[in-house]
Amino acid sequence: MVNEESTSTSYWDNNNGGNNNDQGDFECNICFELAQDPIVTLCGHLFCWPCLYRWLHYHSHSQECPVCKALVQDDKLVPLYGRGKNQTDPRLKRYPGLQIPERPTGQRPETAGPPPQPEAASNLFNFGIGLMGGFMPMATTRIGNFSMGFGGLLPSLFNFQFHGFPDATLYGSAPGYPYGGYHNGFRGVPPHGQERPMAREGNQFDANLKNLLLIVGICVVLFLIL
Amino acid sequence: MTSSPSPSRKALSKIACNRLQKELSEWQVNPPTGFKHKVTDNLQKWIIEVTGAPGTLYANETYNLQVEFPQHYPMESPQVIFVPPAPLHPHIYSNGHICLDILYDSWSPAMTVSSVCISILSMLSSSPEKQRPTDNDRYVKNCKNGRSPKETRWWFHDDKV
Ligand SMILES: [Zn+2]
Ligand SMILES: [Zn+2]
Repeated sequence: MVNEESTSTSYWDNNNGGNNNDQGDFECNICFELAQDPIVTLCGHLFCWPCLYRWLHYHSHSQECPVCKALVQDDKLVPLYGRGKNQTDPRLKRYPGLQIPERPTGQRPETAGPPPQPEAASNLFNFGIGLMGGFMPMATTRIGNFSMGFGGLLPSLFNFQFHGFPDATLYGSAPGYPYGGYHNGFRGVPPHGQERPMAREGNQFDANLKNLLLIVGICVVLFLIL
Repeated sequence: MTSSPSPSRKALSKIACNRLQKELSEWQVNPPTGFKHKVTDNLQKWIIEVTGAPGTLYANETYNLQVEFPQHYPMESPQVIFVPPAPLHPHIYSNGHICLDILYDSWSPAMTVSSVCISILSMLSSSPEKQRPTDNDRYVKNCKNGRSPKETRWWFHDDKV
């Protein structure tokens, strides 16, 4: 009891005494305030965007990080987007009367994509559920979904039966489009990259029509077994 | 007190003011070794007492630094000079001007009064002999009328001292 109390007391003491360290990690290295429109250089130093811009473009003779002198390139700056605040009130501009352009935006790498393909058994399970859920929409959509869906199923289950399969890309080997994504569409949920799978499906539709009939047959058999 | 800013000097901007207040309170918590801030009510001009580091040519000697801040500090460097009598040093002129790159071309807004002070003390400490710069008389004559060292075109030719 006593120990606990003294600990919490010293915590508050620290908090009040070391007042300048609470936000220390988020202070601009130029104005020493909590960074406004925060931006980080490649070398990891934090600034207000207006402070850094003003230094580099109005005062400095070089493009160096003020802290460590590393080269600063505009296209390598990373903005920090915290929560709950979108835009700085223009009335609170740090340098009124100076032309400061918009802060550089973040560079957004592609999304990581769905998790890796599950085992064949769970694939089959998804397939079955999806098929039932997917029967309701219009026929064309159903066929589209269907052909996309079985691409995920086929390699693991029927590889050996289709040696001369006409289009290898149907297997979903194209990077960035793992099988999991097709299951999404299969359940009637709009897939993320709608245009791409649809377009691909269109190209292959004729070529696959014959196979499709074959596979519908297989699936019916499969259903009966299940 | 000599606290009124020189007439030519513009008042500190709000950002400069806020930053200097932060620097001052940090200084009060954690002053650089060998330095004492002489308290005045003038945020724009600090007088700082320096004591030479033990074991160096300037051990136990004390000098006064005057640090004046421009309107747009820290985008612009402070003007730092020794209040005469200035220490005898190959990079310090008899009028108190200091030939030190970080005060001019190599200034960075991430530097502080405290870091500048440390640089000056290290410059003093590394001096091999007590003497004036070779061009002292010529330079000081050119600086009549209280010209700021920031208007000098410095040529930093010697990195050893
Ligand atoms: Zn800032
Ligand atoms: Zn840096």
